Amino acid sequence: MKKTVLSIKSLEIGYLNGKPHRTIVADHLNLNLYEGQFICLVGPNGAGKSTLLRTLTGLQPALGGEICLNGKELQKYSGKELAYEVSVVLTSPIEVGAMTVNELVAMGRFPFTGMFDRMTEHDWQIVHESLSLVGMLGFEERMVHRLSDGERQKVMIARALAQEPRLLVLDEPTAYLDLPGRVSIMNLLHELATVHGRTVLTSTHDLDLAMRSADQFWLMASNGHILQAAPEDLVLSGDFQRVFERDRINFDVMNGHFSVSSNFAGQISLQGDGENRVWTERALERIGFQVFPSPTETELQLNILEKNGERSWELSDGLYTKTFRNLASLVEFLRAS
Amino acid sequence: MQAEPIASKQKANNWLFWILPAVLFLVAALNLFLGSVRIPMGEIFKILFGQPGVKDSWVYIVLNYRLPKIITAGLAGAALSAAGLQMQTMFRNPLADPFILGINSGASLGVALAIMGVGMAGGLFIPSLTALGSFGLVVAASIGAAIVMGLILLVGRKVQKPTTLLILGLMFGHATGALVSLLISFSAPEKVKAYSMWSFGSFTSVTWTELSVMIPVVLFAIILLALMPKGLNALLLGEDYAKSMGLNIKQMRLMILISSSLLAGVVTAFCGPIGFIGVAVPHIARNMFKTANHKTLIPAVLLIGAIVAVTADMIAQMPGSQYILPINVVTSFFGAPFVLWVVLGKKGRSTFNV
Repeated sequence: MKKTVLSIKSLEIGYLNGKPHRTIVADHLNLNLYEGQFICLVGPNGAGKSTLLRTLTGLQPALGGEICLNGKELQKYSGKELAYEVSVVLTSPIEVGAMTVNELVAMGRFPFTGMFDRMTEHDWQIVHESLSLVGMLGFEERMVHRLSDGERQKVMIARALAQEPRLLVLDEPTAYLDLPGRVSIMNLLHELATVHGRTVLTSTHDLDLAMRSADQFWLMASNGHILQAAPEDLVLSGDFQRVFERDRINFDVMNGHFSVSSNFAGQISLQGDGENRVWTERALERIGFQVFPSPTETELQLNILEKNGERSWELSDGLYTKTFRNLASLVEFLRAS
Repeated sequence: MQAEPIASKQKANNWLFWILPAVLFLVAALNLFLGSVRIPMGEIFKILFGQPGVKDSWVYIVLNYRLPKIITAGLAGAALSAAGLQMQTMFRNPLADPFILGINSGASLGVALAIMGVGMAGGLFIPSLTALGSFGLVVAASIGAAIVMGLILLVGRKVQKPTTLLILGLMFGHATGALVSLLISFSAPEKVKAYSMWSFGSFTSVTWTELSVMIPVVLFAIILLALMPKGLNALLLGEDYAKSMGLNIKQMRLMILISSSLLAGVVTAFCGPIGFIGVAVPHIARNMFKTANHKTLIPAVLLIGAIVAVTADMIAQMPGSQYILPINVVTSFFGAPFVLWVVLGKKGRSTFNV
């Protein structure tokens, strides 16, 4: 039986603005999180993901309901006790100069070192292991403000790991990163959970990546409702699409990614297969064509030819035939006509 | 094994902790020899070691004027820098310091109330004649400083831009300045004179009696600060991170409030408002030691602050002349361009980056 790390019952989150007034962001939340799970909290902007994470990590009080962390109520933890259980990585990049990676990660030992912050050999050992877990060994003496955003975020994760938490909570750790940075952070989190048995809860906007790595989604709708299920189940049930429904942005159930819908431009039948077909289809859909398999009665037919490693595209409308050397010229031609 | 790099880095900086006290000793000695009255070096040594056969007036000048003045300057510089360092870390703002945030003005208001306000009620309070009188002045100044600092804590903690905090401090300065003016217009001339004498600010008016109050207060506040480097380091990552690491933020804020109000208050009470040392010295220390670690920065700012203030005092005397400049003239002359450099500088400088 898996151990429950977090169990949340009819939780109410939001802000207290003065004693009688409060803004409720979400309520009736019932959620569970088990040891070794990797959970992604996803949902549109403004749904209250950050508020939820801040409440779960004790950075702001819950308005009602119950949060149990390792079987003990969250309010009953002192600040220090909580620091032994939960560590965080926050969205906004930290602004510190003149601090080395080693010094920053060593801060994760804060709850364990004494009043004067004396690091023992054991503490340094854990700093070393944390850096190794995030793949940042060799960066120890680098200055934090000279790292790339992705590297810095990895170091922040190492700091959180050095705190030896039972639960690692991250608030949009990939927000400021470029695509390779996003992929590598999400992979890292996935690995931390599946390979190293850490329990990870993160909010993210990188739905493609999250869908490929999370054990479960906490899918938060704009109205604050949260569904907890495997990402694939949420897609099949249509809940995922409903939450992210917006103008002209469709979730493609067949391919598992979001696509931008263009105005309808025409129909085309396409002959070809493999990667050539996939990417040609993408180019055609991008400019609004509906693509059909080859022998279909359409006005336009496209044939992908490959000879001696050279590709060409043969477009015909039944009367004329035109050949293109690359997709750019094909797209340009179709757009113009 | 991983401990080595840090240890070696600290070793590399160790020499600075030999150099800085040496420099401090040097400028203090130089300051002792320079002054409007020319006293030969040999005679000064005789006076310091208590040997007889020196002109009485020279003995008086060295023991009761120059020596307390140098000690005062060193203490004031260290105190203001230590206050500036804590405040910069707490507000996460490179421009925070007692002068810029108007905390000095709060202290001034406290002093003005003590000299003129209490005078209106009882007419008893003549400042700085007895240890008790000076202690009252310190209490008044520290309370004034703490009130303004508390207000800024309430309002300014959410302020992100350094310049906004600057404006906030300016407004607090204006508000307290207006209250002081109000007091002045309702006070007896001799009390107004006592206040304005005080407000020129200098290290020269501090006597041994006053030092007997100033030294323990500064020491107490610095001991308090010496207990805080771990928490201050955690605050470098921001309050959310610090809290998530188990730091008791409220207690930390209270300790910083007490320590920096006492430091700013005691200096303002005895030396008057002194600008720019508190903002500049922490930056100098960060640049010099290339670290943000308060375990290094706290001793560093104490030493550098003392050096800067003793040097500023030396310049204020304009060696070889009969004139003495207000100390604020000197610190502003060098400090104001420094603040401009921080504000207008590249992004790297306006954050805590060096």
